[in-house]
Amino acid sequence: MIGKNLFYLFIFPGLLFTGVVGLIIGWVDRKVSARFQFRVGPPVFQNFYDIFKLLGKEVIIVKDSVKFLFVASPIIAFATLVFISMTIGVSLFFNDGFGGDLLVVMYLMMVYSVMLVLGGSSTGNVYSSIGAGREVKLLLGDELVFIFVCLIPIIKSGYSINFEEILAAQSDGVFGGSISGVIGFLAGLLCIQAKMALKPFDIPEAETEIVEGPLMEYSGPLLAFWKLNHHLMYVAYPFLLIILFFGGFNLVGIGILWAILKYVGIVVLMIILKNTNPRLQIDNALKFFWKILTPIAFTGVILAVLGV
Amino acid sequence: MVNNLTLLIGIPILIGIINIILPSMLKKILNMVLVLYLLFVTSQIYINLSGDIVPNVMLFDTLILSIDKLSFLMIAFIQLLSLIIFVFAYSGVNEKIMSKFMILYPLTIGFSNGAILSVNSWSLLIFWGLSGIMLYLFGLLGNTKDTSATAKKTFIIVGGSDVLLILGLVFLRFLEYSNGWQLWDIKVNLEGEIAYIAFISLLIASFAKAGVFPFHTWLPDYSKDTPVESVAFLPASIDKLLGIYLLARLVLSVFVINITVHLVLMSIGAFTIIIAVMMALIQHNGRRLLGYHAVSQVGYMVLGIGTASVLAFAGGLFHLINNTLYKTGLFLSLGSVEKQTGTNDLDELGGLGNKMFLTFLPALIAALSISGIPPFNGFFSKWMIYQGVLDFAKDLTPGYQIWALVCLILAIFGSALTLASFLKFLHTIFLGRTLKKFEKIQESPVMQWVATSVLALLCVIFGIFAVKIPLEKLIYPVLIENGMSLPIWIGTYSPIMMISLFGLIFILGYAIYIMTKSIRYDDIYLGGMDALEKYRITGTGWYNEIKNMSPLKGFYSAAEIKLFDIYSWLKGISVVFAKILSLLHLGQLQFYSLWIVVGTLILLWVIK
Repeated sequence: MIGKNLFYLFIFPGLLFTGVVGLIIGWVDRKVSARFQFRVGPPVFQNFYDIFKLLGKEVIIVKDSVKFLFVASPIIAFATLVFISMTIGVSLFFNDGFGGDLLVVMYLMMVYSVMLVLGGSSTGNVYSSIGAGREVKLLLGDELVFIFVCLIPIIKSGYSINFEEILAAQSDGVFGGSISGVIGFLAGLLCIQAKMALKPFDIPEAETEIVEGPLMEYSGPLLAFWKLNHHLMYVAYPFLLIILFFGGFNLVGIGILWAILKYVGIVVLMIILKNTNPRLQIDNALKFFWKILTPIAFTGVILAVLGV
Repeated sequence: MVNNLTLLIGIPILIGIINIILPSMLKKILNMVLVLYLLFVTSQIYINLSGDIVPNVMLFDTLILSIDKLSFLMIAFIQLLSLIIFVFAYSGVNEKIMSKFMILYPLTIGFSNGAILSVNSWSLLIFWGLSGIMLYLFGLLGNTKDTSATAKKTFIIVGGSDVLLILGLVFLRFLEYSNGWQLWDIKVNLEGEIAYIAFISLLIASFAKAGVFPFHTWLPDYSKDTPVESVAFLPASIDKLLGIYLLARLVLSVFVINITVHLVLMSIGAFTIIIAVMMALIQHNGRRLLGYHAVSQVGYMVLGIGTASVLAFAGGLFHLINNTLYKTGLFLSLGSVEKQTGTNDLDELGGLGNKMFLTFLPALIAALSISGIPPFNGFFSKWMIYQGVLDFAKDLTPGYQIWALVCLILAIFGSALTLASFLKFLHTIFLGRTLKKFEKIQESPVMQWVATSVLALLCVIFGIFAVKIPLEKLIYPVLIENGMSLPIWIGTYSPIMMISLFGLIFILGYAIYIMTKSIRYDDIYLGGMDALEKYRITGTGWYNEIKNMSPLKGFYSAAEIKLFDIYSWLKGISVVFAKILSLLHLGQLQFYSLWIVVGTLILLWVIK
């Protein structure tokens, strides 16, 4: 039992698997983005080189910062994301309830933002504080819609919040095949785009404007953790959408190809969104989530209650 | 006659009276002995109850005081919190008010214990009313320019609701005449006007005490204008316990309520959460911010207890005790900051995390707990409530399902808003740029950070060992005693496993950091520019975009002119009535006699 749990956590589908896939998908992102901009793009293992290089670099800590928080934040975010990846991955690959249900994962997903805000704010850097404020507002924007998104599969599965029950309820047809499911998936895609701070929602980190915001004072191994965290999300969050709306994976025969297509399809959509949209202002992002996407997602919930 | 129940009430009242003549130092020592003794008595009662020995107190052949598992839960937390808050107050209370504080403190404990232990309408009324007066007197200990106005407002709302408590109890006697003035195990069907009037009256009494919308408006003002120890003691803990205790009794054993009433209660809870947290988001005063959160958190309790589900009910009770822990911790942490810096204005604070680390850490844990971040206690109780709402919703018709789901959505989103509000709270006080004026600030006294650390530790323990300790030891017995089944989880969450696995990864991550680190300490980097203090971001303006967004802008403007304040409404109405009634003052006896006759006839017609 303990051995199995440790295998889940460290090897598959936890740290090693998610980390490696995330770094490779990160390369796909960079490569496709480069092609959008008529550049060649980096080699396949560039993200691995970047992470290992950062691990060997010096850490600079602001003298007056809350050092404990500055150091612990990226590591806590890292540990949380590995746990989320493991929980989602175990459901997806082993059809097993382990770690936590959808409500638990929803709340754990907020931990990343919390740590980003606390870690960034601990330094006293003005750009970090601006970025931290934006991160919270963006969280408020996407979280409301994300609640609706998560409720749609919960309702359609007969009010189940366990991943394996949500998957079992899709054995006769995926939720993404219904109108409410389509609405939920599209809204969910935009939510995870915001949760990962990808364009057009890269508002908290806005490199050209506030110089990576909360990450500005980070360097060396601590920055490596933040970068790695971003790659872990590239795996965990699309996997979550696959569980909620596309019935998970059936890793037998042609099912393996379908599984890859589902995942790559979602990632490609995210990359296209990222490369074809300019950054929104934070107030416009809030208006977009609260005034446009929320009524649409609420319609999705009503349709789900009505069985549509 | 003398048993543990009378000791819980009599000893603190006696010590309160003795304290009137004692010097300050002796008062402190006596109170410290008292709170420890009361905890000992509570442990004796726990042992008695475990052996099915129920201490009772009879007076004139009538049962006056008794205890069951639900009242024990409240009693246990009143004594525990009284001890912890007293440890803080020992070195915290301003010397100018110390003498009065040390008199009111034991009296409040005695009256609150009396209200909880009462099983007779009369004794409940007396103790409930006296605890309300204590709230008023504690309110008068403040030293702001609005102190007396706030105390008056509190007294009118909370004291006014006592009138409704009397009305509710009288109507309850009409409904169940055979029961006399005995309370609690009545189970009246909620049918007919009298039953509804009784239910609504008692509900309002409970809501006003706990601070539920729209009877909450005294709470943020009280939080700002009275000593922080009073706020932590009453609105943050004891009044919550009293108010929600009454609500739990009403739902559990006084009335049998239907689905629509359940949904109305859930809606009041959800509405309270969202309205209060939206107000908290834009506050510039730390105490008012916490005051609005004290309101918002009651919403979760009302939502849980109002939902017709064992899971939600247990979650509501669990949230009550969790809230007392983290909310008291937050008020006390802010109190420590206030005592060291001399201000609770968030615009004036910043960067204290380094200087007051032992104050900051408990505040951080309490803030994460109230925001519902796993694995802390606030998440567990919210998780139970959400499951309960889902469990309740699944068997409803589509219309009712959507109604229940809207309540759930508001509650979950309220949690995200709470998180946002507390990230602002932490940023403005402890994080961001350390101000020059605070460079010589010292850590708070030991007694203060020990008190907040104990509360933070309890938040962690109640989160990780939620099932083993608070649920199995304190809350499940309440369910069993009232003939309810134990909750059947519909979700999966094991905090112990989560924290173990999380811990392993954290250790791995930290080991990587340690192995690779080469550290340099430097100034803030702003592209070579000096990091001037005038460019610092306080965090109080973080949510200006939300404040200025339509239609929320209108809501905030309306709130600023106190459009949602029931006290302002009542004040306006009473002025109009006073003007009308002043016309009846003709100064002639025969007219006054006529008004008395007319009044009596109206009264008879109403209660016919």
